[in-house]
Amino acid sequence: MAAIVPMFSAVASSTRHILLLLRCISFAKKALVRISAEGLRFSTDEGSSIEAFVFLDKALFTSYTYHAPEPASSQDDPPEPPFFEIDLQSLLETLNIFSLSDLTSSTRSGGYDDFAAHRLNRHAGMNAFTNHAMGVTGVCNFSYNGEGGALSIHMFESGVTTTCDLTTYEADTVEDIPFNRDSLSVKTIMRAKFLLEAVTELNSVNPASMTVFASPGSASKPNLSLSAIGALGTAAIDFTTATSSETPVLESLYCPTETSASYPFAALKAAQRAMASATKVSLRLDDEGVLSLQFLIELEVGSSDGSGAVAFVDFRIVPLVDDEGAREHGGESTSE
Amino acid sequence: MRFRAEIRNVHTFTKFTASLATLGHIAWVRLDSKDCRFTVIPESGTQVWSVLTPDVIFDTYTIQSAAPNNTINLEVPLAPLQRALKSAQTAIAANIRLTKKDNVPLLSLTITTTTSNPSGPAPTSTASDGQDGFGTATNNGFGSGTDDFREESVDFFGARQDRETVVTQDVPVRVLAPASVEGLHEPRCREPDVHIVLPNLMQLKGISDRFTKLALETKSSSTKTGFASSSSSSGPKLELSGNMHGCLRLALTTDAMHIHSLWTGLENPELDPSQVAEGEAGLANHPSTKMKARGDSTGQSEEGWATVRVEGRDWGRVLSVGRLGGRVIACFCDEHALILYVFLASEEVGGADSVLTYYISSYSA
Repeated sequence: MAAIVPMFSAVASSTRHILLLLRCISFAKKALVRISAEGLRFSTDEGSSIEAFVFLDKALFTSYTYHAPEPASSQDDPPEPPFFEIDLQSLLETLNIFSLSDLTSSTRSGGYDDFAAHRLNRHAGMNAFTNHAMGVTGVCNFSYNGEGGALSIHMFESGVTTTCDLTTYEADTVEDIPFNRDSLSVKTIMRAKFLLEAVTELNSVNPASMTVFASPGSASKPNLSLSAIGALGTAAIDFTTATSSETPVLESLYCPTETSASYPFAALKAAQRAMASATKVSLRLDDEGVLSLQFLIELEVGSSDGSGAVAFVDFRIVPLVDDEGAREHGGESTSE
Repeated sequence: MRFRAEIRNVHTFTKFTASLATLGHIAWVRLDSKDCRFTVIPESGTQVWSVLTPDVIFDTYTIQSAAPNNTINLEVPLAPLQRALKSAQTAIAANIRLTKKDNVPLLSLTITTTTSNPSGPAPTSTASDGQDGFGTATNNGFGSGTDDFREESVDFFGARQDRETVVTQDVPVRVLAPASVEGLHEPRCREPDVHIVLPNLMQLKGISDRFTKLALETKSSSTKTGFASSSSSSGPKLELSGNMHGCLRLALTTDAMHIHSLWTGLENPELDPSQVAEGEAGLANHPSTKMKARGDSTGQSEEGWATVRVEGRDWGRVLSVGRLGGRVIACFCDEHALILYVFLASEEVGGADSVLTYYISSYSA
């Protein structure tokens, strides 16, 4: 290539963080990529019922350069920052190749082995054979030349130089699922593993949907209940804030009135990897019943700024609307 | 005809047999006074022709036959041979000989192992491996007898702490008439365009396998059943290229991406003029000499590459020969074929190297 200054280039000292974060949203084949001066935003969606996104802040990279595209002439508005679609599977497999010295090379084939993922990710930083511990550099260069160009990833390791050019596809602008964060009906924060355990437990009855019920709490009603009905039975996990424990499961709860909504269980399963990788999750319902799960993922020490970096993975799930319309009061949902 | 020998290095022979077994089910084994040749020619996919000096795997090599040079040609099934060698992994001695039982010719391996067994029943050898109809195992020289027999032997030897166990593994073979092997010869190929010493084969295999997995994983889900088919022609194709300036490139192209790995600083061995037809003049006109004029050592230029397309899984199996160590020279005939020469150093000082030659046809673009 001639001496074109690439529109975007970044160097990552380890692809493992990126791989971890992208795996959390990898339920779809393709991902939408948005490049900006602050970082890279990857998003995936399934129909218009579930959407997930993760923002890779430029601080996660050792170096990050972005040259905004120039407008065609001084009269024009500056063009939109680049966004395109790539095949997410290919990107993940490529990053997988680049973390050769990492743990298991087996890839997940669609289904989520959540327990193993949980175990793997919990111990991701503690293995003696990680890149950092071994002092092996897995330095990776990313670059993008502009519309129509490929997203290139370049790496040098043990005498071999590997370059991957990912085809970028034109993306249709997809409206994000709207979430009204100013008008919440429920907000709670808990450790992600409790949510994972609850979803795993519900999964055992093979349900089609999961119901979230929340109330201010009383003798007869739990603060938060996750329930499901399936061919093999029913299950419900109730959470309460009424506890003398110093470390309550629900670290905080905001719920002015009773509310409930149901979601396709497949959407919850799509978020399992994020649940397994995250430390905490913030679960919110807005007044339309849209469920927002925001996962806080701690990236182990070793990121460029030296301190323990964090990243957020967000899921938004549209509620199921049954024949009776959105419910106002609690109780287990009848099967759809 | 007679053939008998001590297997000198079971581990080497086992690894060698394993490399052959990945390519095909049966091998043509040609033994004579000078060398031992193992050839695998599968229906489709890579062929391997290997020439080993007997001392690489055998000691006290004795061979005798009516044919010139005491040549014996055998057809040997590789999986039973592998199973037989498994019994020999912890052996203190292993012998192999050509014999006949009930009119069936076989290669009989006699394996002596020690087992320390303070108490308990007689150690059954890894006879379970040999029981699939191909091998029979005998304990302590008794016939594969009844339970009574075995119990007796337990009582008799039960008190001993250490004992020597002799296991016999039989591999049925076919003796080939000279006429049937006359027509077999190594594939003839034009002079290669590029010859280059390959980097560490296990590293190359690691990367090749990941590329193959990448291609398989990212294939559209509707064709995931491709796993079930074992036909090598349906697998993902990797593009392997070399140039005369020490560069080797492995590439994979799918709809969604193009990925390649590049090695530089590799050695291009000099051709020996005495080996080239027409000597020095032939050397000047040799395709590889012409290739040297093109391309560069950074590998960035598009010029000067000789390329072949190999099927990912077949290539991975060929590369498993890397566990034998040894120097590997790859000869590329652009768009046509790839020939790999694997040199195993001789145990004896000044002895000839053994060579395994792999012939791989290229798929068209």
